[in-house]
Amino acid sequence: MEAEDVGSERGGQVMAVGRLGGWAVGLAILLTAEPTNRLTAQDTTAGKHVYQKWCAGCHGDNGAGDGPAAKHMIPPPRDFTGAIYQIRSTPSGQLPTDADLLRSIDEGLFGTAMPGWKSRLSDRQRRDVLAYIKTFSSFFTDTTQRPQPIAFGSAPGGGGAEALKVGRQLYDSIGCRKCHGDQGRGDGPSAPTLKDDAGHPIFATNLHENWRFNGGGTVEDIYHRLRTGLDGTPMPSFSDLLENKFLTDEQLWRVAQYVRSLSPKETPVVRDVLHAPLAKRLPHSPDDSAWTAVDVYWFPLVGQIVHKQRWFAPAVTGVWVKAVHTADSIALRVVWDDRSESPDTAWLGHIGRVLASLDTDDSTREQPAPWPDQLAVQFPVTIPSGMERPYFLMGSASAPVYQWRWSSSSRSAAVAGLARGIDRFDPLPGGAPGAQAVYDHGQWRVVFTRALASADTASQFPFRSGRAIPVAFFASDGSNGEHGTRMAISTWYFLALDEPVPARVFISPVLAMVLTLGLGMLVVWRAQQKTSYRKGRQ
Amino acid sequence: MRAYLRHPFWQAVGLFVLAYLVIVFVIPMLPGSAMVPSSVVLQYMATVLVGILIWVSDDEARWTTFKEPLHEVLIQPRLKLVRNGLLAAVTLVVGCLTYSQVKASVAAPPNLRSIHPAPPSQITFRGKTITLVGLENPLRKQGEMAPHVAQGRRIYYQNCVPCHGDHLDGQGHFASGFNPLPANFQDNGTIAQLTESFVFWRIAKGGPGLPREGTPWNSAMPAWEDYLTENEIWSVVLFLYDQTGWKPRTWEVSGGAK
Repeated sequence: MEAEDVGSERGGQVMAVGRLGGWAVGLAILLTAEPTNRLTAQDTTAGKHVYQKWCAGCHGDNGAGDGPAAKHMIPPPRDFTGAIYQIRSTPSGQLPTDADLLRSIDEGLFGTAMPGWKSRLSDRQRRDVLAYIKTFSSFFTDTTQRPQPIAFGSAPGGGGAEALKVGRQLYDSIGCRKCHGDQGRGDGPSAPTLKDDAGHPIFATNLHENWRFNGGGTVEDIYHRLRTGLDGTPMPSFSDLLENKFLTDEQLWRVAQYVRSLSPKETPVVRDVLHAPLAKRLPHSPDDSAWTAVDVYWFPLVGQIVHKQRWFAPAVTGVWVKAVHTADSIALRVVWDDRSESPDTAWLGHIGRVLASLDTDDSTREQPAPWPDQLAVQFPVTIPSGMERPYFLMGSASAPVYQWRWSSSSRSAAVAGLARGIDRFDPLPGGAPGAQAVYDHGQWRVVFTRALASADTASQFPFRSGRAIPVAFFASDGSNGEHGTRMAISTWYFLALDEPVPARVFISPVLAMVLTLGLGMLVVWRAQQKTSYRKGRQ
Repeated sequence: MRAYLRHPFWQAVGLFVLAYLVIVFVIPMLPGSAMVPSSVVLQYMATVLVGILIWVSDDEARWTTFKEPLHEVLIQPRLKLVRNGLLAAVTLVVGCLTYSQVKASVAAPPNLRSIHPAPPSQITFRGKTITLVGLENPLRKQGEMAPHVAQGRRIYYQNCVPCHGDHLDGQGHFASGFNPLPANFQDNGTIAQLTESFVFWRIAKGGPGLPREGTPWNSAMPAWEDYLTENEIWSVVLFLYDQTGWKPRTWEVSGGAK
């Protein structure tokens, strides 16, 4: 079934076998399971209380993953009645261990709406709720069949460049790229067709954001997922490749190490002020070598859930931004991961699944269409002198904002204009910034360029160095059903066009140093004078 | 070594270092504690320094012994290297500190926000005037609480969870994208301090309805009167208190809650 989506040539066949094997095991459990040793009501009363209070809002009163919040998030909450769990230490097709379930409760599932409850509920409460969750499925009632975790071992040494090269070759040969794409951004040829076993839309994980990997982003976590698969999703287990001697254990670790190497060493930290250094020359192209020396800033984006129509499932998780300026111009480079070069009709099925999975503020559900990808960069109309700024979400009728808007349907052209609220945008005549865009293996890179102060200063935002300039970002992935108010948004951050350090800045430190040294020498001289004076008197 | 341990100067130095280590490394490890901000560390260390100086100067003999090593460094020919080294080091530190103070660096402007700004005495809700002063949650007088709380729970999970979170602690999966962070209802500084009418006002009018001191331009809180009825908002208010266990501030006790 899923094997058709993920499989290819040789690797695909092996995977299909492994997947079916996993299901066979699952089926065997199903056939042999008998409702013996049912947990007594007493055991789960406390757990039921905790569940009803803190979990049912998403997972539903009966554990079917159908709580009131369920249609306001993708991926949807786990349906406990099927006992199919992604994050396990057990072979594909088998039940998770209690420790596996407790880990998901404690740490949450990164990149989803499931938070970690370790600091929120007591040890007792979490154990109680774990026992209760298991009562939703009869698969757990046969306590004679304890799920056995796989003995994972530990990562082999020597994870250098050579090891990553091996990992990369295997990444290609065992079929990872079919879904996760050539560069690992979840943009492989099968990506638009993916859905979970319940038919919900599912993205192939963007392997460049390990802080969003559901089961954790370490090399060990990744290796465990490769061994166990993510049951209920198109992600298969690769354990059978080891059993068939198609791969060695070390080689599978190399794949995990390669996948880990795609993400930054540390989870990006959000910094408030985006510094644009002074450059001799303005880089107009997204792949100009001048950009490599410039510091990069990460700004997270989240769903637009303020104005109708709200959007609860944004595909763009954030933007990587660099900026430089010359004496008279600015260049701003915005890079973001996007699985699709929209508009792309291949994704219409996915859009349909996304729209069907979510409740909307509309009375009627919209029909999927090949919408483009979009980006907006927002500034105020003038640099504010105090802390007051226009409304972060595209200004208001009385206090508009100045925006650059770019769309993948007209890539090398951007529009400048004034937004007066989320649904009103008035382009400014003759004020378009320069724009160059590249789509490269699941990533958009767009550079905007403009004169700092334009000839028509009345309508164009005047950039000035040495000031904190409010800036915000908005992005839409057309192939995720995003257009209009359905987008990912940020709040205000700041852009600073740094000035070179003027010589006069060094005057005060030098003065302070001379003064300190003089005073110090004076103290020493006085002390020595006094001593020799005393000595002289003796 | 023993001589050093007994010497007031080295005792003072030891105490100073110990205090620093405690403040920076031990305090954050205490349960319910957090990293001490550098400005607070500076204040603490200044206090410690004053305390130490009072202690060493309290006794004439101790003060004299305390000063000895300092004096030695100033005059002894054999300590010339230490003396010059100290002079150079102090001079350099002063230079660096001054430079970091005067160099031009653009920082985000201070964001002074009143977290609980004074509410208006009355608001217009979908064209209807509602007086907030003295207003109680009408649902508390309408029969059984359970159905109202259940309605509030449903509305909360359909609308509020992405920001305010499953645990009502302001840590929903969208929370980190916003500044200010969504309100934490578990904290004793939010709904525990407020009347239900205040909470109703904040939900109904959202970020755009904040007065200037509440920095309305930054808040991502929607004006929920666009989505919910009066009754629905009151049920959510009821749910917030029911789920967290806080009791709303009442008009009778406080006379005029802000």
